[in-house]
Amino acid sequence: MSGRARARARGRARSPSAAEVGRLHASPSPPSVGLGDSEVSSSSGPVGTSRISQKYGISAGDAGCTFKERGGKLRRDFVDLAVCTREKMAHVRNCKKGSSGIPVKLVTNLFNLDLPQDWQLYQYHVTYNPDIESRRLRIALLYNHRELSNKAKAFDGVILFLSQKLEDKVTELSSETRRGETVKMTITLTRELPASSPVCIQVFNIIFKKILKRLSMYQIGRNFYNPSEPVEIPQHKLSLWPGFAVSVSYFERSLLFSADVSYKVLRNETVLEFMTDLCHKTGMSCFTQTCEKQLIGVIVLTRYNNKTYRINDIDWSVKPTHTFQKRDGTEITYVDYYKQQYDITLSDLNQPVLVSLLKSKRNDDTEVRMAHLIPELCFLTGLPSQATTDFQLMKAVAEETRLNPLGRQQRLARLADDIQRNKDARFELETWGLHFGCQMSLTGRVLPSEKIILQDHVCQPASAADWSRDMRTCKILSAQSLNKWLIICSSRAERVMESFLNCLRKVGSPMGFHVEYPKIIKVQENAAAFVHAIQKHVDPEVQLVMCILPSQKNYYDCIKKYLSSDCPVPSQCVLAQTLNKQGMMMSVATKIAMQMTCKLGGELWAVEIPLKSLMVVGIDVCKDACSKGMVVVGFVASINPRITRWFSRCILQRAATDIADCLKVFMIGALNKWHKHNHDVPARIIVYRDGVGDGQLKTLMEYEVPQLLSSVTEASSNTSPRLSVIVVRKRCLSRFLTESGRTVQNPPLGTIVDSEATRPEWYDFYLVSQAACRGTVSPTYYNVIYDDNGLKPDHMQRLTFKLCHLYYNWPGLISVPAPCQYAHKLTFLVAQSIHKEPNLELASSLFYL
Amino acid sequence: MEENHLECNSVVDGNVEDVPDKKVIKFNPPLYRQRYEFVKNLVAQHEPKKVADLGCGDVFLLRMLKYQKCLEELVGVDINEEKFKWHGCKLSACVGDHLYPRELDLIITLYQGSVLEKDCRLVGFDMVTCIELIEHFDSEDLAKFPEVVFGYMSPAMIVISTPNSDFNSLFPYSDFRDLDHKFEWSRMEFQTWALDVANRYNYSVEFTGVGEPPSGAEDVGYCTQIGIFHRKAQATEPDISEQQGQHVYQVAYTTSYPSLQQIKYRRRVVVYETYREVHRMRRKYKMGLTWCELEADPEDSDNPRRKFTSDLPSPQPLKEAEKSTEMTPKPFCIGDKFYVPLERIIAYPKVKHLCGNVEELRALIADAVELNCSGSAVQVDLDHYADC
Repeated sequence: MSGRARARARGRARSPSAAEVGRLHASPSPPSVGLGDSEVSSSSGPVGTSRISQKYGISAGDAGCTFKERGGKLRRDFVDLAVCTREKMAHVRNCKKGSSGIPVKLVTNLFNLDLPQDWQLYQYHVTYNPDIESRRLRIALLYNHRELSNKAKAFDGVILFLSQKLEDKVTELSSETRRGETVKMTITLTRELPASSPVCIQVFNIIFKKILKRLSMYQIGRNFYNPSEPVEIPQHKLSLWPGFAVSVSYFERSLLFSADVSYKVLRNETVLEFMTDLCHKTGMSCFTQTCEKQLIGVIVLTRYNNKTYRINDIDWSVKPTHTFQKRDGTEITYVDYYKQQYDITLSDLNQPVLVSLLKSKRNDDTEVRMAHLIPELCFLTGLPSQATTDFQLMKAVAEETRLNPLGRQQRLARLADDIQRNKDARFELETWGLHFGCQMSLTGRVLPSEKIILQDHVCQPASAADWSRDMRTCKILSAQSLNKWLIICSSRAERVMESFLNCLRKVGSPMGFHVEYPKIIKVQENAAAFVHAIQKHVDPEVQLVMCILPSQKNYYDCIKKYLSSDCPVPSQCVLAQTLNKQGMMMSVATKIAMQMTCKLGGELWAVEIPLKSLMVVGIDVCKDACSKGMVVVGFVASINPRITRWFSRCILQRAATDIADCLKVFMIGALNKWHKHNHDVPARIIVYRDGVGDGQLKTLMEYEVPQLLSSVTEASSNTSPRLSVIVVRKRCLSRFLTESGRTVQNPPLGTIVDSEATRPEWYDFYLVSQAACRGTVSPTYYNVIYDDNGLKPDHMQRLTFKLCHLYYNWPGLISVPAPCQYAHKLTFLVAQSIHKEPNLELASSLFYL
Repeated sequence: MEENHLECNSVVDGNVEDVPDKKVIKFNPPLYRQRYEFVKNLVAQHEPKKVADLGCGDVFLLRMLKYQKCLEELVGVDINEEKFKWHGCKLSACVGDHLYPRELDLIITLYQGSVLEKDCRLVGFDMVTCIELIEHFDSEDLAKFPEVVFGYMSPAMIVISTPNSDFNSLFPYSDFRDLDHKFEWSRMEFQTWALDVANRYNYSVEFTGVGEPPSGAEDVGYCTQIGIFHRKAQATEPDISEQQGQHVYQVAYTTSYPSLQQIKYRRRVVVYETYREVHRMRRKYKMGLTWCELEADPEDSDNPRRKFTSDLPSPQPLKEAEKSTEMTPKPFCIGDKFYVPLERIIAYPKVKHLCGNVEELRALIADAVELNCSGSAVQVDLDHYADC
């Protein structure tokens, strides 16, 4: 149990799939098959609501032009950069830096990109006479023209960018087709853009995309991967390709290139092999449903080109021997097509075809096209869905991909070296006038460590990463005694249960947690028997039900489901296997005793909070594991000034629904609860919002913040609480390391970075609040998007750090503020096991720990 | 070459209809495509190992040919390097080629240079193609050309295509088809030239073409005329001086494909195939167990072996390959470990194809797969998440 709790507390891996795509039936539109011609970039945005604001192009000042990359997509994270929140916050307009703590020198994964002072990007509009529709032909005509052949250029068919100005404002070029027909190209200067323009950032990113391809890397999704030295995990059919997530953008002071090591999980398994295996496993009866359930939404990679597709449907009625219409109008069978085009002989003529809906490349074209893909020629990508629960596999993947700080630093150095040495890469940079500079160092601060307040003892932990030793003999803040409770176990687990019970009572008393002898119910080893026993023996006086489970699955879900929503009683599930570990009993019992205390509404420890009337709120979002298109939104708010008691709510809703809608209800509920306990409203409210995807910042600003504000103002007739909203991101590209001698190390706990690697348009900072024993620590990124409280940046940073100490499932620092982690834990439980809203009666206890 | 470039660029996007085109005669598929298809079919038919495309332009033909399994070396030569820069990377192996390597090595190289100069790296090819190339030569260059290609490179096969001026009468204009064309030959002119060259260098030649004339005008022949030259007898081995000849071309781009000939990839594929088979057998074995427990015959229950051999009634009849494996030692189970003898694994055609015998199989998988102590069987855990 401890291992699981620890893993969840530390590394909450988000599932790597993108926002939900509901199942679409493509049948109404005529099956215009565009084989192997279009791409769906497998962007792997984190889970979140799916208001994807792709329609907001990068607008550069007045004109609002959008430049399209191949595939016509804008990177969603660029969209966020246009949301300038800092200028509205007067107290940080001039300075957003904190002051406390000891300065520390840090190496970053950012590289300087130098441009000449007067560098400008020249934007031209290109027209053709006679007009040419084909984007690629337009590009080809322009690129092949001698006038432009040696110039650095980026062109999407309409808009041309040059780093050097053409002589005239309007340039007429002409190319001749072989029929002697003249195509006139008119190139008109429309704008001169400074390097800071968002449009330039996009162009820089396109340049680096070209450069990384020159370095023999493959673009898969948004990142670049190197196939030459893959990590192979053959027993799980996985190949991991090392690579980089890169991006160019404007940071606080200058243009920087950032690169972080990334691995792409590719599976040595075709969709056909997967289907065959599945068919053997499930049998024919429910094969098609299971198959659709497992494959729809999955990203596949085709064998014959570098394209990825999302599977939207499986067409069981189409076989490879059927024909489709090629673009020239002729009919051809799939078998013949692949033989002729790619010299591939299909081995299974009975396989169905996969259907992928292609997004149109042209913005104005709303027609949805379908591609038919042959399962035999499609490789699966990403971890298999069952794999996330497979400890061995996850361990194998983690071991192979975990890089210590030095290893990471070496990879980065090699990449920088390759970019600087490669002839083509250098040429590309030079023609644009860019200079790839050195790795950037900056100064951060290490915040002072926090004291942990217990009932009659204040301790200064030896290590903020884990203070379980420091509090071994201490009394926790408060605990209800456990007088009436049940233990349900199988007869096989009886002995181990008895000794565990003894242990539990033994560790409970020094903590101040009194545990009475429970009623023990022995049942058969099946989930139904456990649930039946619960139904039979739980009465309103029962404070807690403990179940000793023979295995995790089935049991856990149905017990939690029953006791969280049908019959609200706190429950504690323990795997018999966990109790069998020799020599671990005491520490297991201590952990479980603490969890049980929390579930009964107890408080374990606190930190000093200087603000006297502060409510903190954590919000997170999680995809439901069962029903696609549903998300669970969790909301956890503190209800006492000490920040040790919590009010937790969550809701299941359609992924497309705005989160803002339920926030108002939650916030009012939390304020009422606060009022009940404290007889007033809190003076300040700070909301930590997790689970925000790229491109959602605008939505947050426009919908969520106003909703929160209105519920806060409605709460009180005279002085309403002051509100701050902070976006929390665990996944950010930036990394910070400390240099020590010739090697590099993870930065100390409590390291704050609030300059240089931050963004000028935001009130943001990085905080390293978790320890990484073997890998490289990843800082958590905080973006204060709304702030009425007007706390000094230093206080905001320190408060955030304090809140990272308050997660009761782990006696140590965690990577996010405790309310976020609680919200995550709650949504995870609901999304994985319960699939409906937990009973309101449980809202005041941490029943989901 | 020049003439192709507009066409070819439009090929890249596949929207050939977009080419401004007022001529009466339209080909479907477009003519350039028919020419390339023609070459591709020739390659599929004759299965050359080494093919060079002279005047490869934007490498479109090479991009079509790179999928052919028989090829081991593809070379493109063009005097214009600009286009290589833009298109070269399209020739590299794709992600799928790493996951599913080719059987044979394939190296693709682009040279910047004039096809009228001798470079020893172009000697010894099985096929050399000159698609819409010769009409760009002036008479002096045209005179040099046979000596370099036929005499020096001396490949087994040469494919030369050029416009057929007999066909031009059907076009509304009277000029050459491209401004850079120095001549356009009638069928008679081309065949005379070709037969003469073939005679001189001991080749045979046959004539054909692509671009069918419209009905009623069949007598003008194909729009593009093609000569296919076969070297008659095995010419004398290229002598040493030529082998060590000069490298006059500049390498503009080169790429090498992953293939099963490379030990690294062969090992990888063998390991994956081994696991695939072992997992398949383990699943079958475990399903057999449950099936057996459900339907255990009383007379059989005293025979523990019975359990290990039962198979689920397969949804499909046994394939030939599966029958042959039935003859080999069966997988077995000791404790919570499941064992599959290497002899059993190698009986699978895919594995057999990759490594000839058990020793080679053992050597290939030993580092990546757990074997039993005698090294005769693969050992895995009986329980695995993927089975349930």
